[in-house]
Amino acid sequence: MKYLLTALLVASLPIGVSANDHHGSMDHSMEGHDHASMNHDDHDHAAMNHDDHDHSAMEHSGHDMSPKHALLTRTSDIDKALMAGGQPVVVDVLGVVCDFCATAMNKIFGKRQEVAAVYVDLDKKTLSLALQAGKTLSDQDIEKLAEQAGYRIAAIRRDSEAIGG
Amino acid sequence: MIRRLIALAIICLITPTVVQARPVSYTGGWTFIETSNRLSTAGLLHYTINPKVSLGLRHERMRDADIDMTMAQGTWLVKRWFGKDYQANVYTMAGAGTISDNSGMSSIQETGSFLGVMADWETRSKFVSYESRFLDKGALGSQSMHAARVGWAPYEGDTGSLHTWLMVEIDHREQLKEDTTVTPLVRFFKGAALLELGYNLTDPSPLINFTYRF
Repeated sequence: MKYLLTALLVASLPIGVSANDHHGSMDHSMEGHDHASMNHDDHDHAAMNHDDHDHSAMEHSGHDMSPKHALLTRTSDIDKALMAGGQPVVVDVLGVVCDFCATAMNKIFGKRQEVAAVYVDLDKKTLSLALQAGKTLSDQDIEKLAEQAGYRIAAIRRDSEAIGG
Repeated sequence: MIRRLIALAIICLITPTVVQARPVSYTGGWTFIETSNRLSTAGLLHYTINPKVSLGLRHERMRDADIDMTMAQGTWLVKRWFGKDYQANVYTMAGAGTISDNSGMSSIQETGSFLGVMADWETRSKFVSYESRFLDKGALGSQSMHAARVGWAPYEGDTGSLHTWLMVEIDHREQLKEDTTVTPLVRFFKGAALLELGYNLTDPSPLINFTYRF
């Protein structure tokens, strides 16, 4: 059994994680640091130590156009839906820490006929949606659906705000 | 759906147990939770009726004592705290049903009930939890259990990739000779499936837990 445990520990090393790294070309350097439109009830920034990400002192050369918020995560299904004229929506979600969270939101949002494609990004803590062409989902609907999945949203961005255009 | 039920039945046969990680799912979601530890093997199939309540059926077999329990279980998410980088939960659970003591010449049937509380806090790389249960077996007596866990993920897996956690569980069951034991375990997590494999160092026995959401 000791050998089995050792083997399991070795197996736990992060082999193969990069195979799912679909963010290689995305710039996340400014993510999550400007939350002006977000609900701060659960994380009082006034009391937080922001020393570790003081952007005023950072070297920003080479990425002056970095988005202030996380953008839509692009998957082939989302790209296909956008090409068909669907609206891009990106939602900042609180409490998303594991694949069960992602499964819950994929199931709940994926059932809606207005939604053409959905992806939960644990790194960015966002829900990316591409709506069916000509369809829409109100902010209230998105909020309600997130609650049904067991989560709470902090902000919703659409169209150019979602894709950084 | 039929294929899922067949898969579930196969899992039940392969792993003759059942139950507890994230005991409330998303509205309309089904979850199968199997647990097997030094004392018993148990399984819970539950349905989440709203984001705060799940209802299910639980079967537990206490292997050494030769006792089987089948109970309806309700779980209530009392409070969830949401943060940008963390989630914390407090749950309570209760169940009632039948208990069969098969250790004697003839089986003894009793009605029983249990009450439990569970709390957890987790980020993508740190995990802490505590669970306590009290079981009333009627004329067959009662027992309690306390378990606490700490966990650490050596890397942060993204959506759909394999997530791995290294954890240590300490459990206390005052009715047992080895009342407090330590179990290191590894948690593998991918998509809708979670598997935990460990080994109790104090009371040598394997720990096998499995959770699947559908």
